[in-house]
Amino acid sequence: MAIDTASAGTRGRGDTRVVRGSPFRLGTVARAVIIAAYAGFLLLPLYWAAVTSIKPQEDLLADPPVWWPSNPTNIHYTTALENFNGWKGLENSLIVASVTTVIALIIGTAAAYSMARFRTGGKHLAFWFLSQRMLLPIAVIIPVFLLYSRYSEAWFGIQLVDTKTGLVLLYTVFALPFTVWMMYVYFRQMPVELEEAALVDGCSRIQAIWKIACPLAAPGLVSAAAFAFIFSWTEFLFAQVLARDSAITLPVALAGIITGFQGNQYGEASALTMVSLVPALFLGILVQRHLVRGLTLGAVQG
Amino acid sequence: MLVAPSILIVLALTIFPLGFAIWASFVQYDFSLGLEHPWVGLDNYKENWNDPVWVHSLWVTAILATTMVAVELALGFVLALAMMRPFRGRRALTVLFVIPLFMSPVIVGGFFDLFLRRPFGPMNWLLGELLRHPVTIDFTNDSPWTYISLIIADAWQWTPFMFIILLAGLSAIPDDLYEAADLDGAKPRQSFFFVTMPLLAPIVLIAVTFRFIDAVKLFDIIYSLTRGGPGTETYTASYYLYQQGFELFHLGQGTAGALMLMVMLTFVSFWLVRRLLKPVEA
Repeated sequence: MAIDTASAGTRGRGDTRVVRGSPFRLGTVARAVIIAAYAGFLLLPLYWAAVTSIKPQEDLLADPPVWWPSNPTNIHYTTALENFNGWKGLENSLIVASVTTVIALIIGTAAAYSMARFRTGGKHLAFWFLSQRMLLPIAVIIPVFLLYSRYSEAWFGIQLVDTKTGLVLLYTVFALPFTVWMMYVYFRQMPVELEEAALVDGCSRIQAIWKIACPLAAPGLVSAAAFAFIFSWTEFLFAQVLARDSAITLPVALAGIITGFQGNQYGEASALTMVSLVPALFLGILVQRHLVRGLTLGAVQG
Repeated sequence: MLVAPSILIVLALTIFPLGFAIWASFVQYDFSLGLEHPWVGLDNYKENWNDPVWVHSLWVTAILATTMVAVELALGFVLALAMMRPFRGRRALTVLFVIPLFMSPVIVGGFFDLFLRRPFGPMNWLLGELLRHPVTIDFTNDSPWTYISLIIADAWQWTPFMFIILLAGLSAIPDDLYEAADLDGAKPRQSFFFVTMPLLAPIVLIAVTFRFIDAVKLFDIIYSLTRGGPGTETYTASYYLYQQGFELFHLGQGTAGALMLMVMLTFVSFWLVRRLLKPVEA
């Protein structure tokens, strides 16, 4: 009896299942089936969009569907980019997302640092930033649209409707609470001693932030930046309302192709889809390690 | 001082518009009237409630959001359980599985449109091959298939959200607890219900709260997949307000509706967020 317990105690969690025999095999098979089924569900629509983007026109509507075109073409990419605002959307999206990311990161990190180190605003301020996430975009965009279109020129002399400035301004507001909260959680977990040592050694506070705190927080900065970028890159409602023409972004350009069917532009739509996926994929892989933390604003440690 | 720019910019573009919105919801805000805004009191609010589409859209929002979150939670949980044990290629698969999180919802709706729309999308053909007789389902025009299509598309994009968070939660449960349960003679099923479930509950709450707050905003997928159709059947609250505000330019009514929706959402999610803040503040 005693020996039995002892040997059970040294057994890992994994091998208990091996000892039990049948559940092990069944479990493995079930797991493999679940994973494979999910991978199929995930990849099928993606594959379809990818293959549609290189199909020649006559294969698009074929019945039964063509799963691999016999003569692939890149015609859809060129027309989508040149005739359907593709280049313009790509350029605007890149500019808007990058500028938003930089601004949100600079002022967001400053705020987060101050909140974490000097307890600025206490819990209430932190909570307020978090609650901004609950803002309903549609409730913000209607008044913002009115303000932008009616008063921004009259009061401030800048045009904000259909300009990149207007979009950057709005996106920064929506990216900021996230950046602040994420960096706040990050700074709070960092030991304060290193910065104190730097201050004792004659660094100014700004130097301490720039030379000590920021390098230490680099992983947090990278993922906060990636999330801010992805938010601006994928946002649709604001852009659809505010940027229909000269400041058009990629999602708006794409929605235009999808909803404005003149004949069938399935090829163009999927080509633009593929283009828009590239940075998302790259950034997704980059933030992999901080994904859970980012998605839950630090509430769950990944 | 360091906080000032953040507070200013967020205040300037949230509190100020909200104040403006409250005013705009009480006047007749119409571009054709120029700069005159006659006071109409509660008319904008009443008009929303007199519109059956608005009431319907609220139901659609509530039902769709709840179903989507439930489906995503179930799928994500099963997948997280399946991916718990290490195996070759697990990391690469995880990277693959979370790709949809980085895509624009309007684009996700777009390629589900490609995939499902009759007669060009391959979905009917695939089902036909599987079931061995021809299938002609109009996924984007026939109720209830429109709802199902929306749920599939949303689940496609957001199941990874549940998956990755629950996976982190599952991995955080210490192995000793399972060993202890094993020593005490617990069967795998018992240790699942008495060890895994209670320890995972707070994380499930966090994941559900975040997902629900986003699901209520549902707009993009509607825009590119069903366009609210057939008719106005799949109008969500956000889509309805978008139509009111930016297609029909009933801006006063749109603002009034947006404010009401905001209040409702705040009530629903406030206690959830309160609860979820506790572990962070501790």
